[in-house]
Amino acid sequence: MSRRRIGRIVGRSIVVGGLALFVAVTVAPLLWLVISSLMEQQALTAKPPDFSAGSFTLANYAGVFAAAAQLGQGFANSFLVALFTTAVAIAVGAPAAYALARLAIPGANTILLMILGTQMLPGIVIAIPLFIVMSHLGLVDTRLALIIVYLSFNLPIVIWILRGFFLAIPPGIERAAAVDGATTAQIFRLIVLPISLSPLFATGVFAFIESWNEFFFALILTRQSARTAPLVISQFAGQYQTVFGQMMAAAALAIAPVVALAILFRNMIMKGFAEGMVKG
Amino acid sequence: MGTLEQRRRRAGYAALAPALLILVLILAYPIVDSMLLSLQGLRAAGGTFEGRFIGLSNYGALLEDSTFRAALWATAYFTAIEVLVVVLLALGVALLLVHPCGRFGIFRIVLLLPWAIAPVANAVLWKWILHANYGILNTLLTALGLIERNVIWLGTPGLALHTVLAVDIWKSVPFIAILLLAGLNKVPPVLYRAARLDGANAWQQFLHITLPQLRPTIAVAVILQTLWSLRIFDLIFVLTKGGPADGTVLLNFLAYRTTFNFLDLGYGAAIANVIFAVSLVLALGYIWLLRPGLQKAEG
Repeated sequence: MSRRRIGRIVGRSIVVGGLALFVAVTVAPLLWLVISSLMEQQALTAKPPDFSAGSFTLANYAGVFAAAAQLGQGFANSFLVALFTTAVAIAVGAPAAYALARLAIPGANTILLMILGTQMLPGIVIAIPLFIVMSHLGLVDTRLALIIVYLSFNLPIVIWILRGFFLAIPPGIERAAAVDGATTAQIFRLIVLPISLSPLFATGVFAFIESWNEFFFALILTRQSARTAPLVISQFAGQYQTVFGQMMAAAALAIAPVVALAILFRNMIMKGFAEGMVKG
Repeated sequence: MGTLEQRRRRAGYAALAPALLILVLILAYPIVDSMLLSLQGLRAAGGTFEGRFIGLSNYGALLEDSTFRAALWATAYFTAIEVLVVVLLALGVALLLVHPCGRFGIFRIVLLLPWAIAPVANAVLWKWILHANYGILNTLLTALGLIERNVIWLGTPGLALHTVLAVDIWKSVPFIAILLLAGLNKVPPVLYRAARLDGANAWQQFLHITLPQLRPTIAVAVILQTLWSLRIFDLIFVLTKGGPADGTVLLNFLAYRTTFNFLDLGYGAAIANVIFAVSLVLALGYIWLLRPGLQKAEG
C-alpha cells in the first residue's frame, strides 16, 4: 500500500470517529430524556438504575397531566400564542419584506439593518418598559400581551428571511405583469405570493418554533391563566423536583411538537435561516 | 399617476408602514423608555409604580455595587470561554460534515435537535442528568471509576458556573456548526482542485484556502454567539437561580432579579442598559460584516 493510501484510510477513520462522537454526545442526553420519561420512579432512583423490562411504563405521561392540571392549559396557551403571533408576523412582514427587496424604497438597506440590529438586543432592555405598559393597559397575564411582545423578535426575522427569498425571484415575471398593466399590489398578491408559498411556510414554522419555546417574556408577563408550556414546566420542575420520570415526561411533551416540525422542515430552516444569517 | 417607479415606491411605503409602526411601538419606544427609566428611582409597590428623577445615580450606584461587579466579571468570563469553545468545536463539526462521509441527511437532523428543543425543557433535562444523588452523569462517572464520591455539579461555587457553561456549549455548538457549514459550502471547489494540482496536502489546503475563505463566516459566528451568551437566562433560572452564593448570577439574570424580584425597576433598567450598550456595539459589528453582501444583493 502506498503512503498516500494509508494516509487516506487514517483520515477517513478520524472523520468517521469524530462524526460518531459528535452524534453520540448530541443525541445521548435526548435519548436519556425519552428513556427516563418511560421509567418508574423506583427504577430511576435504584443504584444503579434498573433497566429491566418491568421498569418501563407510560404512567408518567398520565401522571404529569394529573399532577399539573395547568399543563393542558399551558399547551393550549403556547399553541394559540405561537399561532397568532406567527400569522401576524407573516401577514405584516411579507409585504414589508417585498417592499424592501423590490420596491426601491430610499434607504432600504438602512431600514433593514436597523430592524436586524434591534432584533439582536437582549430582551431585558425592552422587557421592563413593556411590562410597565402592559400593566397600565391591564394586559398582564393575557395571551394578547404575549402575541404582541413576541412580534418584537418574530417580525424582524420574518422580514429578514423573506426578503432573501423575494430577492431570489427572477424580476422578469414581475416586469411582464407590470407591462400588462397589473398594479404593484396585484403583482404581489397574484404572482409573488403564490410562487413563495413554501418559503412563507418555512418562515412561519421557524417563527412558530421560536414562539413556542420562548420563556423570558412569558415569565414576566404571565401569572396564572396565560402561562405557556415552558412556564408550567419550569414551575412543575421546581415543585416536584424529585418526581424525575414525570419531569421528563413533561419536558418530552413540550419538545415533541417542535422537534417534529424541525425535522420535517429541516432543509427549509437550514437554508432560510442559517444561510440567511451569514449571507446578508 | 406619476411614473411606474413612483407608483412602485408609493406602494412600497404602504407595504412597509404597518411593520415599521409595530416595530417602533414594541422595539424603538421601549429602548428609549428604558434609558429614561434608568434615570429614575422607580419602584413597583402594590401594583403601581412610584418614580422620581434621580439623574445618573443608578449608574453611580452600579460602580459601587459588588454584586454587579461580580456579575460583570462572571459574564465576561462566561462569554469569552463559551464563544471560544463553541466556535472551535463547531468548526471541527462543520469540517467533519463537509467530508463525503458526513453528508448523510441524518447528520442534519442531529444538528437541528439541540436548537429546536425549548431552552426550559433542555434545562429541566440537564437538572435531572446533573442531579447529585440520582443523576445519570454521576452514575456513569462512578461506574467508569472516574469519581469516587458524587459530584454536586450545581451546588458547588465555581463548579456551578462551569457546569452551566458546559450545558450551554452543548446546546450552542450544533447551530454555530450549521452557520459554518453554510460558509464552507460556499468555498468554490475549484480552489481545492487547483491546490491539489500544486501538490498541497490537506493541512495546507485548510490553512491557505478554507480558513481565509471562511473568515467572514467565522466573524459572524463569533458575534452572534457573543450576543447569545450575553443574554443567557433560561438555563440559570432553572438550574441554579443564580446560586450557590450568587456564583452563577450573570448580568441578564441580575437585571431580571433586580427588576422583578426586588422590584427596583430603575436600577434594573440601568443594568439592562449596560447589557444593551455591549450588545449594541456587537450588533453594529455584525451589521458592518454583512454590508458587502447586502450591497451585492442590491446591485
